[in-house]
Amino acid sequence: MYRAGIDLGSSYTKGVLVDENNNILDYHLVKTGFDFKKASQKIIDKFSENFKITYPVYTCGYGREQLDISTVANSEITALAKAVHHKYQRACSVIDIGGQDTKYVKVNASGGVERFKMNRKCAAGTGSFIEEIAFRLDVTPTEFNDIAQQATEEIKINSYCTVFAVSEIIGRIKGGTSLSNLVLGIYYSIIDRSFELSLIEDFLIITGGIPDNHPLIVKLFKEKFKNTESPEKSQFLSAYGCVLLNDEKKDE
Amino acid sequence: MSHNESGIIKLQSVGFLRKTMGDYFNRLKDAVDTGNKKIAWCTSVGPAELLYSMGFEVYFPENHGAMLGASKIADKYIPSAVALGYSPDICSYLTSDIGAFLQNETPLQKSGFESVPKPDILVYNTNQCREVLDWFSFYAKHFNVPVIGINTPLCINALTPNIIQNVAKQFEELIPELEKVSTQKFDIDKFRETIALSHDGCVLWREVLETARHKPSPINFFDSAIHMGPIVVMRGTTYATDYYKVLLAELKDRIKANISAVPNEKHRIYWDGMPLWYKLSDMAKLFAKLNTCIVASTYCNSWVFDDLDPASPFESSALAYCKLFIVRADEVKENVLEKLMTDFSIEGIIYHESKTCSRNSNNLYGLHTRLFNKTNIPFLEINGDLNDPRCYSEEQSIIAIETFVDQLGSRK
Repeated sequence: MYRAGIDLGSSYTKGVLVDENNNILDYHLVKTGFDFKKASQKIIDKFSENFKITYPVYTCGYGREQLDISTVANSEITALAKAVHHKYQRACSVIDIGGQDTKYVKVNASGGVERFKMNRKCAAGTGSFIEEIAFRLDVTPTEFNDIAQQATEEIKINSYCTVFAVSEIIGRIKGGTSLSNLVLGIYYSIIDRSFELSLIEDFLIITGGIPDNHPLIVKLFKEKFKNTESPEKSQFLSAYGCVLLNDEKKDE
Repeated sequence: MSHNESGIIKLQSVGFLRKTMGDYFNRLKDAVDTGNKKIAWCTSVGPAELLYSMGFEVYFPENHGAMLGASKIADKYIPSAVALGYSPDICSYLTSDIGAFLQNETPLQKSGFESVPKPDILVYNTNQCREVLDWFSFYAKHFNVPVIGINTPLCINALTPNIIQNVAKQFEELIPELEKVSTQKFDIDKFRETIALSHDGCVLWREVLETARHKPSPINFFDSAIHMGPIVVMRGTTYATDYYKVLLAELKDRIKANISAVPNEKHRIYWDGMPLWYKLSDMAKLFAKLNTCIVASTYCNSWVFDDLDPASPFESSALAYCKLFIVRADEVKENVLEKLMTDFSIEGIIYHESKTCSRNSNNLYGLHTRLFNKTNIPFLEINGDLNDPRCYSEEQSIIAIETFVDQLGSRK
């Protein structure tokens, strides 16, 4: 029995293929683009090359209820909590940094959501924020991590609003701040914004496309809060959690 | 019985509600057309009883603001008020109402009005916010009519005799100007009679809200936000008492017949903050789908002025309108909310942080976390606005609400 979990994010759609023992056999990531159905179909097609998928498919994220295939929709936050708990088997705090949202989730000892909070209105501190800044700096977001490694100084960039941050960067460029120091400043602003979501006192797990693609951010999180981890391929956890949640329901 | 696609059984009283509200606007229109009655504009928790007792037809711009919001047209008008100099961060009732006026449009035109009814006087109470004074001052200047009102102290903790006497005196001091405009002599007996009617209407409205204590609840927040119309604009009249007698009877019948507002009520939530007027029916469907009933709210529970007493009309008006939730200190608010949690068997609270109405958003100064520490009742904060849909991220909020309901489910 091969089950698929799909997380339709604002920027990327993430899919996992899971066997009957809840092992992940395959991962697939596609741009969400304009068409949720097409994005998820690409994932199904990829998995179907080697496996016969069982329906329904377990979904979460923005287009979770609008697919043509048989689906069971879940909350991506409940799913994330489930998957993180499955991996770490303990209560913990999760900060998930995605394309449009930054979320704080307090996971309880049985893998449920104890509380959660999402970023305020502006996308400052999310993936879109990095893309906007990268565009202004004329580099690609994928270059950010290497550039930030070269930084020599920790500078503060405002994390209140993306537009304000861009204006501030223009001022910094005028003042002679190096590109690498600016990019590191952007990373720090993302971290500051994340820690606004809640006081964190226990064990912190960082997930999402941003930590997966910007490993330096995870290192910086650890500098601020020692007891931090970020699992590999963490952006697939909500998709995986969808399968786990429904595995649990089946057993009830 | 009529069902909609969510399985929600509509309240039968909605027909009588439409008639009651329609008649109210017809009386206003008659005053406009014939000029045989003066028109006072009043804030929603202003001295409506005094105005009705002195023969005014009373128009409530906040009701008009809510109409603009519910008609999903507020964002068409807000930019005009902003261009005039009002910040988009202040009350979007004010900005949408003034913007609509500047564009010479109103939903009332569908009811035969040329424009909003021209005021002969504007009467405010700042108990709810300072914006009402700015709002009314705009129209006072435009129409060259007097604007008078009551300036209530803010963040009231103990309702001391000093506060009550001061506010009662301000009520009395409105009379000479009202007599001048209405050309009617103030009549204390009429005032007492109006106060008694307002009291009775408020008690009926309270009883309507209290039917939601029953599990499952026969009414939810989205119903109440609509059915509160008469208590807002007609308190102090028999129109309001007549209406709530009918609604209350229907709700009692629903309890007997086990008809609930949400067909399969599994969770009971409290709503703090303003409604999102432009999303009222979408939200009603969303919560119904989640088997979750919003059984009580700060907003609807705010129109219960049961301290009104014909034996002491001025003092009891002062007491009733100073006791209002929004004008109280956080310590008092916390206690009020804590009691409501028990009374209505609440499992979770949603705080709607309204971008343009901080006075009605109770998650800004830590009250929500203090209340959680006391009660262990979980909460969710959502960002939005009463009238300005640009401040609301629907997709993000739906995910948050669904997760919150999951969270409540995992606690059971």
